[in-house]
Amino acid sequence: MLTFVARRALAAVPVLLVASFLSFWFVRVTVDPTAKVRQSRDPQAVARLRERLRLDEPVVVQYGVWVRDALRGDLGTSERTGEPVSRMLRRALWTTTQLLLWGTAAAALVAVAVGVYSALRAGGVADHLLTTLAFLGLAMPPFWFGLLAIQILAVDLTRWLGLSEPLFGFVGLHSGDGSGFTLDYLRHLVLPVMTLTVGIVAEWSRFQRASMVEVLAAPYIRTARAKGVPRSRLVVRHALRNALLPLVTVMALDVGLLFGGVIVTEQIFSIPGMGRLFVESLRVGDAPVLVAWTVVTAAFVIAANLVADLAYGFLDPRVRPR
Amino acid sequence: MSTGHGADRRPGPSAPPGRRALRRFVRRRPAVVALVVLVLLAAACAAAPWLAPYPPNRQDLLLGPVPPNRSHWLGTDELGRDQLSRILHAGRISLSIGLAVGALSTAVGTAVGAVAGYAGRRVDQALMRVTDLFLVLPGIAILAIALERLGRSPAVIVLVLAGLFWMYVARVVRAEVLSLREREFVEAARAVGASGTRIVVRHLLPNVVGVVVVNAALAVAAAIIAESTLSFLGFGVQPPATSWGVMLADAEGYVATPQAYLLYGPGVAILLTVLSVNFVGDGLREVFDPRTAPR
Amino acid sequence: MRRWTTMVTGALVCALALGACSSSGEGGNGAGGPSGPGPTRKAAGTLVLGAEQEPDCADWIGSCAGSAWGLWTIQVHTIPRVFDYRKQAGVWTEVPSPLLAGAPEVSERDGKQVVTYRLNPAARWSDGTPITSADFRFTWRAVVDGEDIYDKTGYDLIESVDDSDPRTVVVTFRERYASWRGLFAAYGVLPRHLLEGKDRAEEMADGYEWSGGPWIARWRKGESVTLTPNPRWWGPPPKLAKVVFKFLASSAAEFKAFESRTVKAIYPQPQLEVVGKVTRRDPQARRFVTTETGNVEALWVNNDRFPFDDVRVRQAFAYAVDREAIVRRLFGRLGVTEPVHSFNPPIQSRYAAPAFERYRADPRRVEELMRAAGFRRDGDGPWRKDGRVAEVVLTTTTGNKRRELTLQILQEQLRRAGFRARIGNLPPADLFGEHLPNGDFQVALYAQVVTTLDPGLCVVFCAKNIPGPDNDHSGQNFTRTRVPEADPFLERVDVEADEQERIAASKRADELLAEAMVSLPLDPLPNIGLWDRRIEGPVADNPVLGMFWNVHEWRCRGGRC
Repeated sequence: MLTFVARRALAAVPVLLVASFLSFWFVRVTVDPTAKVRQSRDPQAVARLRERLRLDEPVVVQYGVWVRDALRGDLGTSERTGEPVSRMLRRALWTTTQLLLWGTAAAALVAVAVGVYSALRAGGVADHLLTTLAFLGLAMPPFWFGLLAIQILAVDLTRWLGLSEPLFGFVGLHSGDGSGFTLDYLRHLVLPVMTLTVGIVAEWSRFQRASMVEVLAAPYIRTARAKGVPRSRLVVRHALRNALLPLVTVMALDVGLLFGGVIVTEQIFSIPGMGRLFVESLRVGDAPVLVAWTVVTAAFVIAANLVADLAYGFLDPRVRPR
Repeated sequence: MSTGHGADRRPGPSAPPGRRALRRFVRRRPAVVALVVLVLLAAACAAAPWLAPYPPNRQDLLLGPVPPNRSHWLGTDELGRDQLSRILHAGRISLSIGLAVGALSTAVGTAVGAVAGYAGRRVDQALMRVTDLFLVLPGIAILAIALERLGRSPAVIVLVLAGLFWMYVARVVRAEVLSLREREFVEAARAVGASGTRIVVRHLLPNVVGVVVVNAALAVAAAIIAESTLSFLGFGVQPPATSWGVMLADAEGYVATPQAYLLYGPGVAILLTVLSVNFVGDGLREVFDPRTAPR
Repeated sequence: MRRWTTMVTGALVCALALGACSSSGEGGNGAGGPSGPGPTRKAAGTLVLGAEQEPDCADWIGSCAGSAWGLWTIQVHTIPRVFDYRKQAGVWTEVPSPLLAGAPEVSERDGKQVVTYRLNPAARWSDGTPITSADFRFTWRAVVDGEDIYDKTGYDLIESVDDSDPRTVVVTFRERYASWRGLFAAYGVLPRHLLEGKDRAEEMADGYEWSGGPWIARWRKGESVTLTPNPRWWGPPPKLAKVVFKFLASSAAEFKAFESRTVKAIYPQPQLEVVGKVTRRDPQARRFVTTETGNVEALWVNNDRFPFDDVRVRQAFAYAVDREAIVRRLFGRLGVTEPVHSFNPPIQSRYAAPAFERYRADPRRVEELMRAAGFRRDGDGPWRKDGRVAEVVLTTTTGNKRRELTLQILQEQLRRAGFRARIGNLPPADLFGEHLPNGDFQVALYAQVVTTLDPGLCVVFCAKNIPGPDNDHSGQNFTRTRVPEADPFLERVDVEADEQERIAASKRADELLAEAMVSLPLDPLPNIGLWDRRIEGPVADNPVLGMFWNVHEWRCRGGRC
């Protein structure tokens, strides 16, 4: 097992290198790292920066320097705030990770439940209704969903119920300057998590339904049923277990894709995570942050894929190399 | 941005398209309804210059924003412009972007997928690595940087969106081609000395048309949504042109105000379009891949 | 000290924070501070206030000077300054702050201007160290010797700061300086004993724990600034136990947060949804709208670029724009129906002449002026001269919806007048960092925001301040205005000590600038404040220090917000 993990992890390294190089190269050519310094009154400042970033040498060399510094924990200094980029990223990444973890967990739970339920009632009214909902979820621009959620679940609901404060927060992850894992925190998670996951819940539930339908029709299930295995046991132990496998791979890919949704979600709900950091940095062309951001994000996605890959191996021993 | 790529995960053997397929499609009622809606919507947008009650950019500063009424069915915006007329005209841009992205990403994806699937291990490995790489890069972010730096013309938007979507088609087509290349009719063609290009173009591609079409539809839907997301982030087309996404983004501030009606029109237009495209795509998939038909 | 800030806001662009008076806390049911009624004079209640945009850092004299929200959320509550600003007899004036024992005295010694400040003996930093003349001297040196200082104007004219008496600050100027009131006011006074020998920028950048004001600020980056009472504050103690400024992602988010009572006071940009809100009745909310601001939102015209390198075309442009229609559409609901007619903002109105009043939409004048400038036009087509089309690129900062809409109105108006108008918006950093300084723009829409009562337009309109080698490319005359007749008057405004003379010079300069149509002022960008009716206290706009400057005097009804 350990060698399996090690081998998969090792295989991810070149992907990470190439992906981070591409990100680095892309940001280097599009965002001028000397833009801010050029406004400085010190005529030597630009030359010094060019020297430090090796801007006159090929991008590969610049990348090499960047990686060397990055491995030492030095991702440069933000042009906007003057703060070390590593500190800003760590803060933002932690916030975003919370959002992603809760989002994935909630989405998986809902999607599996809905998928299994629909599959068991395939062709019925409930199935049609859930299918329609899933299609609606897939067809909604996520930010529109977020805005409607605020309008209805935060603004209108508060008014109807005559509350002094909204039931679901939509400004940050805590009210006031609170922190920690509290009821307040959970109330602030509801709307962002919904917005972030509306698409994938729809997609995953469809997927789960399809694979469940397929498994339920498989001969071994029919055999088990004929043998008189109780229905609940049949569904959970036999069918669900096998029907879950494909979903895990899909989740792997989608957790990476969720990063796109994070940008929108954090913007709507004023959550100071990676998405906000990106938008704010892009606004001022903060090259050091943008470079590090894209590379770290790519690494995060690769890591997520790796984890899912391993989980898959865990669940399905056939994948493990002999 | 995870929406709409469900199809690439269910590659299956495709039935040759034809009258039988058509008949099967017609039997899927939601898909047919969706197709009709889609055609009507597209026609309305295409005919906007003749159909729209007002020119899309005619301002009435004294009027300002008024809720839906008899002379302005969907109300007017802050500058007194007719919302319905603007939605119709905006649809031309949104749909064009969607279609262009669908076409471009499908073309690139099919080419890459077919070559990867047919040309053998080395090329396959290389191409798939590239594909995987693209899947790993933070798409929306790259897109935003590109638009911020390269300008926001519809052409750039189409190019970057297509750059974001082709991988999905490529993967599906490759899988399909991989399974087809061992089939008898391909072997036969090879035996009579057909060239690789000829085999791919004449024998393989016609057989993957099914999945390609399905995925193209999904790419169109995803592109329309992605365009709206970009607009929300401030990277939409520039005025006086407008798109559904831009209109929706402009209405963001009107949540919880009497002008909230501005939020609904363009949103429903996107919803309806994407919903219809997805239904049609789903219908097509069931036509080409009867395995997933509900039992 | 003139702050040349720009109100760059918008959905994508900025963070808005709202203020609210809410129970903070675990479980969300109100564990914030001792609450409940009673005669107790102890600070009570937690008030959550807002910041539309998070400051980039807290180095108020260096890289983060000029940040409006930095001033309103942290600086004004923690950095002692020599003046407060009050409206007296209908005019905004400087009044000595609690830091001073009385009004500073201006005198002349050996032909040199000398200003003497007498310090309040009770004034001290939050660690108990008295605030003395040595701190003034340190602040002066920090500004003058500093590397990345935002603006040294005035401080570089100081010859000496005598700190021999800790309670008396004697500032001697090398030459006469009329705007001395801005010194130690906008930048305030920094604690020598805490910063001397250290890297000030580094020490302050991420926030600081010391204070010389009513509050101590703790900054949680990305999320909030929390103010707690400074126990050593020598003025009347804060009535609230805690004030939190929350940072929001957009003006739209700010507005929604107020509407849903998530936050209970906001000081938003006058985006249109906010304007609409102000005109609707809401028994829960209180509000102010003031047009007496330090802002002038204007169409800044590049005087060097075709076709606006010709004064007649600039004038034609001014007659082509229906400013009144624009202002009515944007702010008519607030009762603002008249454009501003001077580049001196409303709070400096006594220095302003309504010189731009002459420019009202007038197609005939456009026609005359364009023809006089050698342009011809076929029917409804655009003006042409020597084969060149009179094309205008209109630029504003991306993300500010109100400005984007304004440009769309303008685009229509100009099209009808025969100018081909395109919109090419830019991210704020690009517009202010590159395009304006390099003169790479034609017409830009943004606001000049002034946070001093001292007039002075030389910095933006004197020919010597056109960015170039003479001023290390740091001049701020982005419009490349060259009106030689106006320059002497503009310069005089900066140094003239005689108030009447100063006013006369300023008004004369206004007339000359309008005659040359160097740019076109639009509106005063009204200041709007919205707050929950439970908040009690002197809540009002302060065009220099912002709405929240006196939050230590606010309280919540019954101690609960």
